Amino acid sequence: MTPHDPSVIGFDDPILVTGAAGFIGTRVVEQLLQRGFWNIRAFVRPSSDLTRLESARRASDGAGPTVIRGNLLSRLDCAAACKDVAVVFHLAAGRGEKSVPDAFVNSVVTTRNLLEACVEHARLRRFVNVSSLSVYSNRGPSRGLLDEGSALETRPQLRGDAYSFAKVKQDELVADYAARFSLPVVTVRPGYVYGPGKEAITGRVGVGSFGVFLHLGGGNPLPLTYVDNCAEAIMLAGLRTGIDGEVFNVVDDDLPSSRRFLRLYKANVRRFSSIYVPHAASYALSWLWEAYARWSQNQVPPVYNLSVWHTYWKRTRYSNAHLKERLGWTPAVATAEGLRRYFAACRERLQHA
Amino acid sequence: MLRVAIVGCGKIADSHAAQIGRITGSEIVGVCDREPLMARQLAERFRIARWTTDLGELLATRPDVVHVTTPPASHFDIARTCLGAGCHVYVEKPLAIDANQTEALVALAMENGRKLTVGHDDQFTHVARRMRALVQRGYLGGCPIHIESIYSYDLSEPGYARALLADKAHWVRRLPGGLLQNIISHGIARIAEHLTSDSPTVIAHGFVSARLRGLGETELVDEVRVVISEAPGPTAYFTFSSQMRPSLHELRLFGPRNGLALDQDRETLIRLPGTRRKSYLEKFLPPLDLAWQELGNVVTNARTFLVRDFHMKSGMKYLMEAFYRSITHDTPLPIPYREIVLTARIMDAIFDQIRMRQPSEVTMTMRADTERV
Repeated sequence: MTPHDPSVIGFDDPILVTGAAGFIGTRVVEQLLQRGFWNIRAFVRPSSDLTRLESARRASDGAGPTVIRGNLLSRLDCAAACKDVAVVFHLAAGRGEKSVPDAFVNSVVTTRNLLEACVEHARLRRFVNVSSLSVYSNRGPSRGLLDEGSALETRPQLRGDAYSFAKVKQDELVADYAARFSLPVVTVRPGYVYGPGKEAITGRVGVGSFGVFLHLGGGNPLPLTYVDNCAEAIMLAGLRTGIDGEVFNVVDDDLPSSRRFLRLYKANVRRFSSIYVPHAASYALSWLWEAYARWSQNQVPPVYNLSVWHTYWKRTRYSNAHLKERLGWTPAVATAEGLRRYFAACRERLQHA
Repeated sequence: MLRVAIVGCGKIADSHAAQIGRITGSEIVGVCDREPLMARQLAERFRIARWTTDLGELLATRPDVVHVTTPPASHFDIARTCLGAGCHVYVEKPLAIDANQTEALVALAMENGRKLTVGHDDQFTHVARRMRALVQRGYLGGCPIHIESIYSYDLSEPGYARALLADKAHWVRRLPGGLLQNIISHGIARIAEHLTSDSPTVIAHGFVSARLRGLGETELVDEVRVVISEAPGPTAYFTFSSQMRPSLHELRLFGPRNGLALDQDRETLIRLPGTRRKSYLEKFLPPLDLAWQELGNVVTNARTFLVRDFHMKSGMKYLMEAFYRSITHDTPLPIPYREIVLTARIMDAIFDQIRMRQPSEVTMTMRADTERV
């Protein structure tokens, strides 16, 4: 996007970024500053580490952002943050780990508070709702392709995944507010966002909970998006004109397969043993786990089940055609370079562990 | 069918809803939270017919039992309202924020002919019940001489620790006992169960750990050592630590003849025989005996797992069942009121001393003993 491209706001209009100290949020702030948007309110938790935001401020000659420490569970904090704001980039979310209420309160209740504040101020020109690819059920006649038209999860409570449950409910809430109050909402659904600062191996590759790493992804393409690429997509979704109500999935080009990713990780970061579990076997094991959890009244939590299998381990292709076509986005960091930076960060983290 | 309602739809309410759902003869008829989204999500996920933001509206549906799963500061008012409406009440720990409130709730329950309990479910896990059975069968050889209760809390998880440390307005900080108030009642209740007098002497020492001080924390006490004694009667040590490793949840009872050691995390119980062999065999046979006992624990746990009764919250289910049975069949309460009040009094004494840094004596004025199930 160049300074001459049409935008829903001018360079002086106030912008709110929630989760601004987070992995993606800091990059969104940096990219906005780089493009000349200086009037940024960076909403962060009281406990957030501001190192990277401070760097962004220094890099922009102290022109911003304005840091607001607060809690999105406070309606007063939301009202103060949203006052006169033209664009909201809503990235804050609760992962909740294994607790659905934790994830729900920090994703859905917070989003409701923010939306209420936006409705009240009525100056909003864009609300960017950052969601996740995990809200898709990945079932139905998709022929293995997951895009913006794919079916959404309708019974997220059965997946046993707190984060997905909260994200599905957050999307439902945002859609409801958009319809009731004619809010100009755009939803962005990134795949797995990776890069320096987030060194874990995505569960789409496999799980290491049983003492040995079970490689479940096999030949599946991984829906990766490098953090800077993802941040740029989110930024564009907040600025482009004529896209209200649209949804954009975010994945990079040249996606590696799970098998290739694992091989590269072992070669570049550390060696460890893994056992490949073919798709038919992982499907059967997921079914068995789900059946046992039900039969035993959740003596083991139903964290592995067919819904999870379809979302994370079913062979699926991903499309970023809509993103490229409507936002003019192209991944600035190629996957090979993104992986090189990621592996370097992983090595560094290991050396300091 | 016992009609159950839940007030407070946060994290612990999930465990309550799941365990109530496993109890034959009970059903959840409604949930309440002042945040409508929270009330609705719990109702949707557990297929509960009614949700509301108004406690009065919930009580108008005439539930038999109300579970209070809100933050501790609100326990007293909500429990009092529910008891006043004629409901039996199960309150998550701690029952209230101090002993005065605790005594008032117990008195109100007794006045109204309703029943009250607190969520000290750690006392009802499989292994805790095995230990209690051995004590009741006289394995210790009499009343405990000494008790050691260790209760750890791992603050090393950076997200939670950082949030708690950075947020000076965090609700945990506003409790009279701070972080301790929300956590230590499990460990103290285990001691209270074995105390015989109502006025034990409590000597407490609490401090901010070096790690937290290094992070700039000066107020949040996360290390506590307590000596509890009564004459005549047992002595007890209580240790709370956020820093020591391994992070333990243990109870050790030492009687005049034998001892017992419970490890809650591993669900293991070890008998500690008081007799010694007068030969070198003492160096060889007891370790073998320990290995044999540990193998027995493995077998017991595996058997419990195989019969589908080894849930993470099995103690909570047992406590609920015992509480419901006390309502429907007028059996004794699972936790005698005396123990509930004594636990609160000891906690008050600990918090007072940590604030004032001087020893104090617990005094009990109320007697409302009932037999433990």
